[in-house]
Amino acid sequence: MGHLSGEHLYEIFARQKREDRLEHVGTISAPNAALARAYAWQTYDEQKWFEMVVAPRESFEAVNRDEEPFTLGPVEAR
Amino acid sequence: MAQFTDEQLQRKIQEGFIVESEADMTETYKKALIGQLTVQGDTELISAPAYYMAARDAPSTNTMVSATAIIQDEMGHANIAYRLLQDLGVDTDYLLYDRPPEKFKNPFGFDQPLANWAELVTANALYDRAGITLLSDVHRNTSYGPLKRALVKVGMEENFHLRHGEVWMRRLCEAGGEGRDLVQRAVDWMFPMGVEWFGLPDDRKRHNAQLDFKLKGMTNDELRTTWMKAVVPLCEQLGIRVPAHSNEETGEVELEYELPIAWDPDDRVWLLDETITWDDVWERWRARGPMNEEFVDSVRRSRFQVESLLAA
Repeated sequence: MGHLSGEHLYEIFARQKREDRLEHVGTISAPNAALARAYAWQTYDEQKWFEMVVAPRESFEAVNRDEEPFTLGPVEAR
Repeated sequence: MAQFTDEQLQRKIQEGFIVESEADMTETYKKALIGQLTVQGDTELISAPAYYMAARDAPSTNTMVSATAIIQDEMGHANIAYRLLQDLGVDTDYLLYDRPPEKFKNPFGFDQPLANWAELVTANALYDRAGITLLSDVHRNTSYGPLKRALVKVGMEENFHLRHGEVWMRRLCEAGGEGRDLVQRAVDWMFPMGVEWFGLPDDRKRHNAQLDFKLKGMTNDELRTTWMKAVVPLCEQLGIRVPAHSNEETGEVELEYELPIAWDPDDRVWLLDETITWDDVWERWRARGPMNEEFVDSVRRSRFQVESLLAA
């Protein structure tokens, strides 16, 4: 429920400079990875990112907690 | 859920606790947060067709490009608010595509047509200023971690819209003649819309769950005053008349009419001398403005027309 049928939730990570750490900047719903890349790049364009990647939320592997991953949201911009 | 009672959660929040997931919430908290995010998402979303209507009057290709960049930002901000709603289990497909248009929670100001470039830039200066006033208070104070983080991006972009609006108002006013007249006429109807944007006055506000749970920090009256302290001096500087003035002795901004006032929908003017009740205002808001259906439909069209095009 919550997003369009056949869509998946993608988490978006980016870094501004090559030496920065990759940080969580937001989330997007998309039917596939190609559109997730396009939506992410168009939506989170507030910085000139050196690198941006997307990953489906369902691919996350919990390491130290049993329950669902904590609700994610973009980190504070540095 | 229901790990805490409302009173326990309020106390924890006052002590600095940040809510990160549904497991931390009470029903009251969740309901107040969903209400806040729906207003935020709907307002951002409906600003897009409203701005698009006026952007078609852009005086050049360059100005059209900056207007569409703003529209794209607003769609992105709506997406962020609706994404947060999805995490709370809200059916955003319903909200976007099946909800009756009159149930959208955007302010009355965005149920109105924006007719020309002067109205677009005045909306950027007055309405985006209202957006920044509300959202920067949420950003500073909200107890909901995911929203606090998401608003960093939104704040950066809203400041660009505000600059766009103020620079263009100045440009049109300095040009004089028709440009200045158009700005004056835009401000005449949009300034009181902005005053009304912040809702019921504090002594009439029915619930304060958003304040109790620190979903925001300032009251409606405090937010309205913050907005006026930015907008009124701007208009005074530009030589644009507004029914308010800065009081140099007190440093306050004083409204020159008694809230709330009547709106004449046919002539699209405010009747500054005709004080009405807040119940009358509620009724006007509930009845919606002239563009409500069309703006909602315009957002929906863009999805379903594309879908049928691809299916053909």
